[in-house]
Amino acid sequence: MDILRLEAVTKRFGGIVACKDISFGIPEGRIMGLIGPNGAGKTTIFNLITGVYSLTAGRIYFRGADITRLRPDELVALGIARTFQNIRLFRNLTVLDNVRIAVDRNLPYSFGAALARLPSVLSKERAVYRQATEYLAALGLSGRAGDRADSLPYGLQRKLEIARALALKPKLLLLDEPAAGMNPEESAELARLIRRIHGEFGLTTLLIEHHMDVVMELCEQIYVLNFGVKLAEGDAETVQGNPDVLRAYLGEGYKRAGN
Amino acid sequence: MLIQTLVTGLAIGGIYALMAVGYSLVFSILNFSNFAYGSIIMLGAYVGYYLLMKAGLPLAVSVAGSVMGAAFLCYLNERMAYSTLRKRNAASLYFMISAMGTAIFLENLVYATIGSRFYAFPEIITQQNITFWGASIGVLDVFAIVFSFTAIYMLHYFLQHSRVGIAIRAASYDMQVCQLNGVNITRLVGWVFLLAGALAGLSGMFLGMKYMVYPTMGWITNKAYIAAVIGGLGSLPGAVVGGLILGVLETLVSTYVSSVIRDVFSFSLLVVLLLVLPTGLFGKYLEEKV
Repeated sequence: MDILRLEAVTKRFGGIVACKDISFGIPEGRIMGLIGPNGAGKTTIFNLITGVYSLTAGRIYFRGADITRLRPDELVALGIARTFQNIRLFRNLTVLDNVRIAVDRNLPYSFGAALARLPSVLSKERAVYRQATEYLAALGLSGRAGDRADSLPYGLQRKLEIARALALKPKLLLLDEPAAGMNPEESAELARLIRRIHGEFGLTTLLIEHHMDVVMELCEQIYVLNFGVKLAEGDAETVQGNPDVLRAYLGEGYKRAGN
Repeated sequence: MLIQTLVTGLAIGGIYALMAVGYSLVFSILNFSNFAYGSIIMLGAYVGYYLLMKAGLPLAVSVAGSVMGAAFLCYLNERMAYSTLRKRNAASLYFMISAMGTAIFLENLVYATIGSRFYAFPEIITQQNITFWGASIGVLDVFAIVFSFTAIYMLHYFLQHSRVGIAIRAASYDMQVCQLNGVNITRLVGWVFLLAGALAGLSGMFLGMKYMVYPTMGWITNKAYIAAVIGGLGSLPGAVVGGLILGVLETLVSTYVSSVIRDVFSFSLLVVLLLVLPTGLFGKYLEEKV
Protein backbone atom coordinates (compact mmCIF):
# COMPACT_ATOMS: atom_id res chain seq x y z
CA MET A 1 0.00 0.00 0.00
CA ASP A 2 1.18 3.54 -0.68
CA ILE A 3 2.19 5.36 2.47
CA LEU A 4 2.02 8.70 0.66
CA ARG A 5 -0.16 9.61 -2.33
CA LEU A 6 -0.22 12.87 -4.24
CA GLU A 7 -3.27 13.34 -6.45
CA ALA A 8 -3.23 16.05 -9.12
CA VAL A 9 -1.24 18.36 -6.86
CA THR A 10 -0.89 21.89 -8.24
CA LYS A 11 0.80 24.94 -6.73
CA ARG A 12 0.68 28.40 -8.25
CA PHE A 13 2.52 31.47 -6.96
CA GLY A 14 0.64 34.31 -8.61
CA GLY A 15 1.03 33.60 -12.31
CA ILE A 16 3.86 31.12 -11.89
CA VAL A 17 2.97 27.46 -11.86
CA ALA A 18 5.53 25.81 -9.58
CA CYS A 19 4.08 22.36 -10.07
CA LYS A 20 1.13 21.13 -12.02
CA ASP A 21 -0.94 17.96 -11.83
CA ILE A 22 1.62 15.97 -9.95
CA SER A 23 0.39 12.49 -9.02
CA PHE A 24 2.45 9.70 -7.55
CA GLY A 25 2.50 7.28 -4.68
CA ILE A 26 5.29 5.83 -2.57
CA PRO A 27 4.86 2.24 -1.46
CA GLU A 28 5.68 1.71 2.22
CA GLY A 29 9.30 0.82 2.87
CA ARG A 30 10.59 2.04 -0.47
CA ILE A 31 13.27 4.61 -1.30
CA MET A 32 11.99 6.88 -4.04
CA GLY A 33 13.96 9.51 -5.92
CA LEU A 34 12.65 12.88 -7.03
CA ILE A 35 14.93 14.37 -9.67
CA GLY A 36 14.93 17.09 -12.27
CA PRO A 37 16.74 20.29 -13.23
CA ASN A 38 16.98 23.26 -10.86
CA GLY A 39 13.67 25.06 -10.58
CA ALA A 40 11.69 22.00 -11.61
CA GLY A 41 9.57 22.18 -8.45
CA LYS A 42 11.13 19.42 -6.37
CA THR A 43 11.51 21.40 -3.15
CA THR A 44 8.05 22.90 -3.74
CA ILE A 45 6.67 19.37 -3.57
CA PHE A 46 8.48 18.83 -0.25
CA ASN A 47 7.04 22.10 1.02
CA LEU A 48 3.55 21.01 -0.02
CA ILE A 49 3.89 17.60 1.63
CA THR A 50 5.19 19.10 4.89
CA GLY A 51 2.57 21.86 5.04
CA VAL A 52 4.91 24.82 4.51
CA TYR A 53 2.84 25.82 1.47
CA SER A 54 -0.85 25.23 0.99
CA LEU A 55 -1.97 23.52 -2.20
CA THR A 56 -3.67 25.44 -4.99
CA ALA A 57 -5.41 22.25 -6.11
CA GLY A 58 -5.18 18.52 -5.53
CA ARG A 59 -5.00 16.24 -2.52
CA ILE A 60 -2.31 14.56 -0.48
CA TYR A 61 -2.96 11.34 1.44
CA PHE A 62 -0.75 9.86 4.14
CA ARG A 63 -1.50 6.26 5.19
CA GLY A 64 -4.92 6.61 3.65
CA ALA A 65 -5.90 9.82 5.46
CA ASP A 66 -6.32 13.19 3.75
CA ILE A 67 -3.58 15.49 5.05
CA THR A 68 -4.00 18.30 2.52
CA ARG A 69 -4.91 21.02 5.02
CA LEU A 70 -2.84 20.06 8.05
CA ARG A 71 -0.28 22.28 9.77
CA PRO A 72 3.43 21.40 9.67
CA ASP A 73 3.51 20.37 13.31
CA GLU A 74 0.47 18.14 12.87
CA LEU A 75 2.15 16.44 9.91
CA VAL A 76 5.22 15.85 12.05
CA ALA A 77 3.01 14.24 14.68
CA LEU A 78 1.62 11.90 12.01
CA GLY A 79 5.13 10.81 11.08
CA ILE A 80 6.53 13.00 8.29
CA ALA A 81 9.98 14.53 8.79
CA ARG A 82 12.33 16.31 6.46
CA THR A 83 15.73 17.87 6.00
CA PHE A 84 16.54 21.00 4.03
CA GLN A 85 18.41 21.79 0.86
CA ASN A 86 20.20 24.68 2.54
CA ILE A 87 20.94 23.31 5.99
CA ARG A 88 18.60 24.79 8.55
CA LEU A 89 19.79 23.87 11.99
CA PHE A 90 19.18 25.88 15.13
CA ARG A 91 22.68 27.24 14.88
CA ASN A 92 22.48 29.01 18.24
CA LEU A 93 21.79 25.78 20.14
CA THR A 94 24.03 22.86 21.00
CA VAL A 95 24.10 19.73 18.87
CA LEU A 96 22.31 17.86 21.65
CA ASP A 97 19.59 20.50 22.03
CA ASN A 98 18.91 20.44 18.28
CA VAL A 99 17.99 16.79 18.61
CA ARG A 100 16.28 17.25 21.99
CA ILE A 101 13.69 19.54 20.44
CA ALA A 102 12.70 16.72 18.16
CA VAL A 103 12.77 14.03 20.86
CA ASP A 104 10.68 16.24 23.13
CA ARG A 105 7.78 15.98 20.67
CA ASN A 106 7.52 12.30 21.47
CA LEU A 107 7.42 12.62 25.22
CA PRO A 108 4.76 15.06 26.31
CA TYR A 109 4.46 16.14 29.91
CA SER A 110 2.66 19.05 31.46
CA PHE A 111 4.30 22.29 32.46
CA GLY A 112 2.78 22.14 35.93
CA ALA A 113 4.50 18.86 36.55
CA ALA A 114 7.72 20.23 35.12
CA LEU A 115 7.64 23.14 37.54
CA ALA A 116 7.02 20.86 40.46
CA ARG A 117 9.98 18.74 39.29
CA LEU A 118 8.00 15.57 39.78
CA PRO A 119 9.97 12.35 39.68
CA SER A 120 8.15 11.33 36.51
CA VAL A 121 9.39 14.50 34.83
CA LEU A 122 12.93 13.80 35.88
CA SER A 123 12.76 10.26 34.54
CA LYS A 124 11.29 11.57 31.30
CA GLU A 125 14.05 14.13 31.06
CA ARG A 126 16.55 11.34 31.45
CA ALA A 127 14.71 9.44 28.72
CA VAL A 128 14.86 12.49 26.44
CA TYR A 129 18.56 12.83 27.08
CA ARG A 130 19.16 9.12 26.47
CA GLN A 131 17.16 9.06 23.26
CA ALA A 132 18.82 12.20 21.95
CA THR A 133 22.27 10.74 22.56
CA GLU A 134 21.22 7.54 20.81
CA TYR A 135 20.26 9.43 17.66
CA LEU A 136 23.53 11.33 17.79
CA ALA A 137 25.39 8.03 18.15
CA ALA A 138 23.52 6.54 15.20
CA LEU A 139 24.83 9.36 13.01
CA GLY A 140 28.33 9.35 14.53
CA LEU A 141 27.94 12.68 16.30
CA SER A 142 28.39 11.55 19.90
CA GLY A 143 31.65 13.41 20.40
CA ARG A 144 30.11 16.76 19.44
CA ALA A 145 26.98 16.74 21.65
CA GLY A 146 27.98 19.79 23.69
CA ASP A 147 29.23 21.92 20.77
CA ARG A 148 27.19 24.64 19.18
CA ALA A 149 25.59 23.47 15.94
CA ASP A 150 27.27 26.17 13.88
CA SER A 151 30.71 24.98 14.96
CA LEU A 152 30.28 21.67 13.11
CA PRO A 153 31.87 21.16 9.72
CA TYR A 154 29.47 21.07 6.79
CA GLY A 155 29.25 17.30 6.43
CA LEU A 156 28.42 16.83 10.10
CA GLN A 157 25.77 19.55 9.93
CA ARG A 158 24.05 17.50 7.22
CA LYS A 159 24.21 14.48 9.49
CA LEU A 160 22.86 16.46 12.41
CA GLU A 161 19.87 17.48 10.31
CA ILE A 162 19.23 13.83 9.55
CA ALA A 163 19.60 12.95 13.25
CA ARG A 164 17.09 15.66 14.16
CA ALA A 165 14.64 14.39 11.53
CA LEU A 166 15.03 10.79 12.77
CA ALA A 167 14.40 11.90 16.34
CA LEU A 168 10.87 12.87 15.29
CA LYS A 169 10.27 9.13 14.79
CA PRO A 170 9.03 9.54 11.21
CA LYS A 171 7.44 6.88 9.05
CA LEU A 172 8.25 8.95 5.99
CA LEU A 173 11.56 10.78 5.68
CA LEU A 174 12.04 13.49 3.07
CA LEU A 175 15.67 14.24 2.27
CA ASP A 176 16.30 17.39 0.25
CA GLU A 177 19.68 17.12 -1.52
CA PRO A 178 21.54 15.47 1.34
CA ALA A 179 24.68 15.04 -0.78
CA ALA A 180 24.81 18.64 -1.98
CA GLY A 181 28.35 19.98 -1.87
CA MET A 182 29.90 16.58 -1.23
CA ASN A 183 32.64 14.93 -3.26
CA PRO A 184 32.06 11.46 -4.80
CA GLU A 185 33.61 9.65 -1.84
CA GLU A 186 31.56 11.55 0.71
CA SER A 187 28.36 11.08 -1.27
CA ALA A 188 29.03 7.34 -1.57
CA GLU A 189 29.44 7.21 2.20
CA LEU A 190 26.24 9.20 2.60
CA ALA A 191 24.38 6.77 0.33
CA ARG A 192 25.46 3.90 2.57
CA LEU A 193 24.35 5.88 5.61
CA ILE A 194 20.93 6.58 4.08
CA ARG A 195 20.47 2.92 3.24
CA ARG A 196 21.46 1.91 6.76
CA ILE A 197 19.09 4.29 8.57
CA HIS A 198 16.35 3.49 6.07
CA GLY A 199 16.50 -0.13 7.19
CA GLU A 200 17.33 0.47 10.84
CA PHE A 201 14.47 2.90 11.50
CA GLY A 202 11.92 1.20 9.23
CA LEU A 203 11.47 4.23 7.00
CA THR A 204 9.97 5.11 3.70
CA THR A 205 12.28 7.63 2.08
CA LEU A 206 11.73 10.28 -0.57
CA LEU A 207 14.98 11.71 -1.84
CA ILE A 208 15.74 14.81 -3.88
CA GLU A 209 19.26 14.56 -5.23
CA HIS A 210 21.43 15.74 -8.09
CA HIS A 211 24.22 13.22 -7.54
CA MET A 212 23.04 10.54 -9.98
CA ASP A 213 25.31 7.89 -8.48
CA VAL A 214 23.52 8.34 -5.16
CA VAL A 215 20.09 8.27 -6.79
CA MET A 216 20.78 5.25 -8.95
CA GLU A 217 22.39 3.42 -6.04
CA LEU A 218 19.51 3.98 -3.64
CA CYS A 219 16.25 4.47 -5.45
CA GLU A 220 14.03 1.64 -6.61
CA GLN A 221 11.69 4.13 -8.16
CA ILE A 222 12.31 7.57 -9.66
CA TYR A 223 10.00 10.45 -10.50
CA VAL A 224 11.38 13.07 -12.90
CA LEU A 225 10.10 16.65 -12.89
CA ASN A 226 10.72 19.39 -15.41
CA PHE A 227 9.21 22.90 -15.24
CA GLY A 228 6.72 21.73 -12.63
CA VAL A 229 5.30 18.84 -14.65
CA LYS A 230 6.03 15.13 -14.74
CA LEU A 231 8.59 14.16 -17.32
CA ALA A 232 9.00 10.48 -16.56
CA GLU A 233 8.47 7.86 -13.88
CA GLY A 234 9.80 4.38 -13.32
CA ASP A 235 12.77 2.38 -12.08
CA ALA A 236 16.35 3.52 -12.52
CA GLU A 237 16.81 1.63 -15.81
CA THR A 238 13.69 3.04 -17.43
CA VAL A 239 14.42 6.62 -16.38
CA GLN A 240 18.03 6.51 -17.51
CA GLY A 241 16.94 5.21 -20.91
CA ASN A 242 14.18 7.75 -21.39
CA PRO A 243 15.16 10.15 -24.19
CA ASP A 244 13.16 13.04 -22.66
CA VAL A 245 15.03 12.71 -19.38
CA LEU A 246 18.36 12.52 -21.15
CA ARG A 247 17.57 15.66 -23.10
CA ALA A 248 16.13 17.73 -20.26
CA TYR A 249 18.29 16.67 -17.37
CA LEU A 250 20.89 13.94 -17.52
CA GLY A 251 22.42 15.08 -20.80
CA GLU A 252 22.71 13.19 -24.08
CA GLY A 253 26.16 11.91 -23.15
CA TYR A 254 25.01 10.42 -19.86
CA LYS A 255 24.70 6.77 -21.00
CA ARG A 256 27.91 6.77 -22.93
CA ALA A 257 29.83 8.39 -20.06
CA GLY A 258 30.16 5.05 -18.36
CA ASN A 259 26.88 4.57 -16.60
CA MET B 1 25.70 58.05 49.98
CA LEU B 2 27.31 56.05 47.21
CA ILE B 3 26.09 52.73 48.60
CA GLN B 4 22.59 54.15 48.89
CA THR B 5 22.72 55.41 45.33
CA LEU B 6 24.01 52.09 44.04
CA VAL B 7 21.31 50.11 45.81
CA THR B 8 18.59 52.41 44.48
CA GLY B 9 20.19 52.22 41.03
CA LEU B 10 20.30 48.43 41.10
CA ALA B 11 16.67 48.30 42.26
CA ILE B 12 15.53 50.54 39.40
CA GLY B 13 17.88 48.69 37.08
CA GLY B 14 16.42 45.36 38.18
CA ILE B 15 12.92 46.59 37.33
CA TYR B 16 14.16 47.89 33.97
CA ALA B 17 15.81 44.52 33.41
CA LEU B 18 12.52 42.71 34.11
CA MET B 19 10.71 44.87 31.59
CA ALA B 20 13.51 44.69 29.05
CA VAL B 21 13.67 40.90 29.30
CA GLY B 22 9.91 40.56 28.79
CA TYR B 23 10.04 42.95 25.88
CA SER B 24 13.08 41.23 24.32
CA LEU B 25 11.48 37.82 24.71
CA VAL B 26 8.62 38.86 22.45
CA PHE B 27 10.99 40.66 20.12
CA SER B 28 13.25 37.63 19.75
CA ILE B 29 10.34 35.45 18.65
CA LEU B 30 8.08 37.74 16.62
CA ASN B 31 10.63 40.36 15.61
CA PHE B 32 8.57 43.43 16.41
CA SER B 33 8.49 46.07 19.10
CA ASN B 34 5.57 45.28 21.39
CA PHE B 35 4.47 48.77 22.42
CA ALA B 36 1.47 47.34 24.26
CA TYR B 37 3.84 45.87 26.83
CA GLY B 38 3.75 49.05 28.91
CA SER B 39 -0.03 48.84 29.18
CA ILE B 40 0.23 45.30 30.46
CA ILE B 41 2.67 46.52 33.11
CA MET B 42 0.22 49.29 34.03
CA LEU B 43 -2.71 46.86 34.26
CA GLY B 44 -0.58 44.50 36.36
CA ALA B 45 0.01 47.34 38.81
CA TYR B 46 -3.72 48.09 38.97
CA VAL B 47 -4.50 44.42 39.61
CA GLY B 48 -1.94 44.30 42.41
CA TYR B 49 -3.18 47.56 43.93
CA TYR B 50 -6.79 46.38 43.81
CA LEU B 51 -6.00 43.04 45.44
CA LEU B 52 -3.98 44.67 48.23
CA MET B 53 -6.03 47.78 48.98
CA LYS B 54 -9.59 46.94 47.95
CA ALA B 55 -9.74 43.18 48.43
CA GLY B 56 -7.49 43.40 51.47
CA LEU B 57 -5.32 40.45 50.54
CA PRO B 58 -1.80 40.05 51.93
CA LEU B 59 1.05 41.64 49.95
CA ALA B 60 2.52 38.34 48.78
CA VAL B 61 -0.84 37.20 47.43
CA SER B 62 -1.34 40.55 45.71
CA VAL B 63 2.03 40.31 44.01
CA ALA B 64 1.23 36.78 42.86
CA GLY B 65 -2.17 37.97 41.63
CA SER B 66 -0.59 40.83 39.74
CA VAL B 67 1.88 38.43 38.10
CA MET B 68 -0.85 36.00 37.06
CA GLY B 69 -3.24 38.72 35.99
CA ALA B 70 -0.68 40.44 33.79
CA ALA B 71 0.40 37.09 32.31
CA PHE B 72 -3.19 36.36 31.37
CA LEU B 73 -3.74 39.84 29.91
CA CYS B 74 -0.53 39.63 27.89
CA TYR B 75 -1.67 36.28 26.52
CA LEU B 76 -5.05 37.77 25.67
CA ASN B 77 -3.28 40.69 23.98
CA GLU B 78 -1.52 38.26 21.63
CA ARG B 79 -4.65 36.24 20.90
CA MET B 80 -6.72 39.31 20.10
CA ALA B 81 -4.27 41.69 18.46
CA TYR B 82 -1.44 39.65 16.96
CA SER B 83 -2.41 36.05 16.25
CA THR B 84 -4.43 36.85 13.13
CA LEU B 85 -1.58 38.98 11.76
CA ARG B 86 0.83 36.16 12.54
CA LYS B 87 -1.21 33.60 10.62
CA ARG B 88 -1.30 35.99 7.68
CA ASN B 89 2.49 36.45 7.80
CA ALA B 90 1.99 40.20 8.08
CA ALA B 91 5.02 42.51 8.04
CA SER B 92 6.30 43.61 11.45
CA LEU B 93 5.11 47.17 10.86
CA TYR B 94 1.51 45.94 11.11
CA PHE B 95 2.31 44.27 14.42
CA MET B 96 3.77 47.51 15.73
CA ILE B 97 0.78 49.56 14.64
CA SER B 98 -1.54 47.04 16.23
CA ALA B 99 0.57 47.16 19.40
CA MET B 100 0.40 50.95 19.56
CA GLY B 101 -3.34 50.83 19.06
CA THR B 102 -3.65 48.32 21.88
CA ALA B 103 -1.53 50.50 24.16
CA ILE B 104 -3.64 53.61 23.55
CA PHE B 105 -6.85 51.63 23.82
CA LEU B 106 -5.95 50.09 27.17
CA GLU B 107 -4.77 53.39 28.57
CA ASN B 108 -8.02 55.10 27.61
CA LEU B 109 -10.02 52.17 28.87
CA VAL B 110 -8.48 52.75 32.29
CA TYR B 111 -9.19 56.50 32.05
CA ALA B 112 -12.80 55.79 31.16
CA THR B 113 -13.49 53.14 33.77
CA ILE B 114 -11.16 53.73 36.73
CA GLY B 115 -10.20 57.34 36.12
CA SER B 116 -7.02 59.36 35.95
CA ARG B 117 -6.34 59.38 39.70
CA PHE B 118 -2.91 58.47 40.99
CA TYR B 119 -2.94 55.68 43.58
CA ALA B 120 -0.12 55.27 46.06
CA PHE B 121 0.67 52.16 48.04
CA PRO B 122 0.71 52.65 51.83
CA GLU B 123 3.90 54.06 53.31
CA ILE B 124 4.36 51.04 55.56
CA ILE B 125 5.37 49.19 52.39
CA THR B 126 7.13 51.93 50.49
CA GLN B 127 8.99 53.94 53.12
CA GLN B 128 10.68 51.34 55.33
CA ASN B 129 14.42 51.70 55.70
CA ILE B 130 17.16 49.62 57.17
CA THR B 131 20.60 50.89 58.13
CA PHE B 132 23.44 48.99 56.63
CA TRP B 133 27.08 49.99 56.94
CA GLY B 134 25.96 53.45 57.93
CA ALA B 135 23.80 53.83 54.85
CA SER B 136 20.03 53.99 54.96
CA ILE B 137 18.63 51.54 52.43
CA GLY B 138 15.01 51.14 51.34
CA VAL B 139 13.52 47.73 52.12
CA LEU B 140 11.50 48.01 48.92
CA ASP B 141 14.72 48.46 46.93
CA VAL B 142 16.19 45.32 48.45
CA PHE B 143 13.03 43.40 47.63
CA ALA B 144 13.04 44.77 44.08
CA ILE B 145 16.60 43.58 43.57
CA VAL B 146 15.98 40.14 45.06
CA PHE B 147 12.73 39.55 43.18
CA SER B 148 14.00 40.81 39.82
CA PHE B 149 17.07 38.66 39.96
CA THR B 150 15.15 35.60 41.12
CA ALA B 151 12.55 36.02 38.36
CA ILE B 152 15.18 36.52 35.68
CA TYR B 153 17.18 33.55 36.90
CA MET B 154 14.06 31.37 36.89
CA LEU B 155 13.29 32.43 33.34
CA HIS B 156 16.87 31.71 32.34
CA TYR B 157 16.69 28.25 33.86
CA PHE B 158 13.36 27.61 32.16
CA LEU B 159 14.74 28.64 28.76
CA GLN B 160 17.86 26.55 29.16
CA HIS B 161 16.37 23.34 30.46
CA SER B 162 12.66 22.90 29.83
CA ARG B 163 11.28 21.54 26.59
CA VAL B 164 9.22 24.68 26.03
CA GLY B 165 12.29 26.77 26.79
CA ILE B 166 14.46 24.98 24.26
CA ALA B 167 11.69 25.27 21.68
CA ILE B 168 11.46 29.02 22.38
CA ARG B 169 15.19 29.42 21.81
CA ALA B 170 14.93 27.39 18.62
CA ALA B 171 11.98 29.42 17.38
CA SER B 172 13.84 32.64 18.07
CA TYR B 173 16.39 31.38 15.57
CA ASP B 174 14.04 29.88 12.97
CA MET B 175 10.32 29.70 13.61
CA GLN B 176 9.49 27.75 10.46
CA VAL B 177 12.01 24.98 11.05
CA CYS B 178 10.83 24.85 14.64
CA GLN B 179 7.33 24.14 13.40
CA LEU B 180 8.69 21.57 10.96
CA ASN B 181 10.16 19.83 13.98
CA GLY B 182 6.73 19.33 15.41
CA VAL B 183 6.40 22.42 17.59
CA ASN B 184 2.92 23.94 17.75
CA ILE B 185 3.85 27.57 17.10
CA THR B 186 0.54 29.03 18.29
CA ARG B 187 0.98 27.34 21.65
CA LEU B 188 4.64 28.36 21.80
CA VAL B 189 3.83 32.02 21.13
CA GLY B 190 1.18 31.75 23.83
CA TRP B 191 3.88 30.62 26.27
CA VAL B 192 6.13 33.51 25.33
CA PHE B 193 3.39 36.04 26.01
CA LEU B 194 2.48 34.37 29.30
CA LEU B 195 6.09 34.56 30.45
CA ALA B 196 6.52 38.13 29.26
CA GLY B 197 3.26 39.04 30.99
CA ALA B 198 4.38 37.49 34.27
CA LEU B 199 7.50 39.67 34.22
CA ALA B 200 5.30 42.65 33.35
CA GLY B 201 3.11 41.99 36.41
CA LEU B 202 6.11 41.82 38.72
CA SER B 203 7.70 44.97 37.34
CA GLY B 204 4.33 46.77 37.37
CA MET B 205 3.88 45.93 41.03
CA PHE B 206 7.34 47.25 41.96
CA LEU B 207 6.94 50.35 39.81
CA GLY B 208 3.59 51.02 41.45
CA MET B 209 5.11 50.69 44.90
CA LYS B 210 8.17 52.75 44.08
CA TYR B 211 6.29 55.53 42.29
CA MET B 212 2.51 55.38 41.91
CA VAL B 213 -0.23 53.62 39.98
CA TYR B 214 -1.74 55.70 37.16
CA PRO B 215 -2.93 55.17 33.57
CA THR B 216 0.20 56.37 31.75
CA MET B 217 2.72 54.68 34.02
CA GLY B 218 3.30 52.09 31.29
CA TRP B 219 5.31 54.50 29.18
CA ILE B 220 8.23 53.86 31.49
CA THR B 221 8.80 50.88 29.17
CA ASN B 222 10.59 53.44 27.00
CA LYS B 223 13.38 52.85 29.48
CA ALA B 224 13.14 49.13 28.83
CA TYR B 225 13.63 49.78 25.12
CA ILE B 226 16.75 51.79 25.94
CA ALA B 227 17.97 48.96 28.17
CA ALA B 228 17.31 46.45 25.39
CA VAL B 229 19.24 48.61 22.90
CA ILE B 230 22.17 48.96 25.32
CA GLY B 231 22.31 45.19 25.68
CA GLY B 232 21.51 44.40 22.04
CA LEU B 233 17.96 43.95 20.79
CA GLY B 234 16.59 40.45 21.21
CA SER B 235 19.40 39.34 23.52
CA LEU B 236 18.14 38.34 26.97
CA PRO B 237 21.47 38.59 28.82
CA GLY B 238 21.88 41.91 27.06
CA ALA B 239 18.52 43.09 28.36
CA VAL B 240 19.53 42.26 31.94
CA VAL B 241 22.91 43.98 31.74
CA GLY B 242 21.42 46.91 29.82
CA GLY B 243 18.70 47.36 32.44
CA LEU B 244 21.17 47.37 35.31
CA ILE B 245 23.57 49.75 33.58
CA LEU B 246 20.77 52.17 32.77
CA GLY B 247 19.30 52.01 36.28
CA VAL B 248 22.61 52.70 37.98
CA LEU B 249 23.67 55.44 35.53
CA GLU B 250 20.31 57.17 35.86
CA THR B 251 20.41 57.14 39.63
CA LEU B 252 23.98 58.44 39.63
CA VAL B 253 22.92 61.26 37.31
CA SER B 254 19.92 62.24 39.44
CA THR B 255 21.94 62.06 42.65
CA TYR B 256 25.12 63.79 41.60
CA VAL B 257 23.95 66.05 38.76
CA SER B 258 20.22 66.72 38.78
CA SER B 259 17.08 64.63 38.65
CA VAL B 260 15.71 67.07 36.07
CA ILE B 261 18.15 65.96 33.41
CA ARG B 262 17.78 62.23 34.21
CA ASP B 263 15.55 61.46 31.25
CA VAL B 264 17.46 63.86 28.99
CA PHE B 265 20.50 61.77 29.82
CA SER B 266 18.76 58.42 29.21
CA PHE B 267 17.32 59.31 25.84
CA SER B 268 20.52 61.00 24.67
CA LEU B 269 22.26 57.79 25.59
CA LEU B 270 19.81 55.90 23.37
CA VAL B 271 20.48 58.15 20.38
CA VAL B 272 24.24 58.06 20.84
CA LEU B 273 24.26 54.28 21.28
CA LEU B 274 22.25 53.72 18.15
CA LEU B 275 24.82 55.78 16.29
CA VAL B 276 28.03 54.29 17.66
CA LEU B 277 27.04 50.82 18.86
CA PRO B 278 23.82 49.82 17.08
CA THR B 279 24.15 46.13 17.95
CA GLY B 280 24.53 46.89 21.65
CA LEU B 281 26.76 44.91 23.96
CA PHE B 282 25.49 41.43 23.13
CA GLY B 283 23.58 41.83 19.87
CA LYS B 284 24.79 39.69 17.01
CA TYR B 285 22.03 39.48 14.48
CA LEU B 286 21.70 43.06 13.32
CA GLU B 287 21.20 42.15 9.67
CA GLU B 288 18.77 39.35 10.39
CA LYS B 289 16.94 40.67 13.37
CA VAL B 290 16.38 44.39 13.14
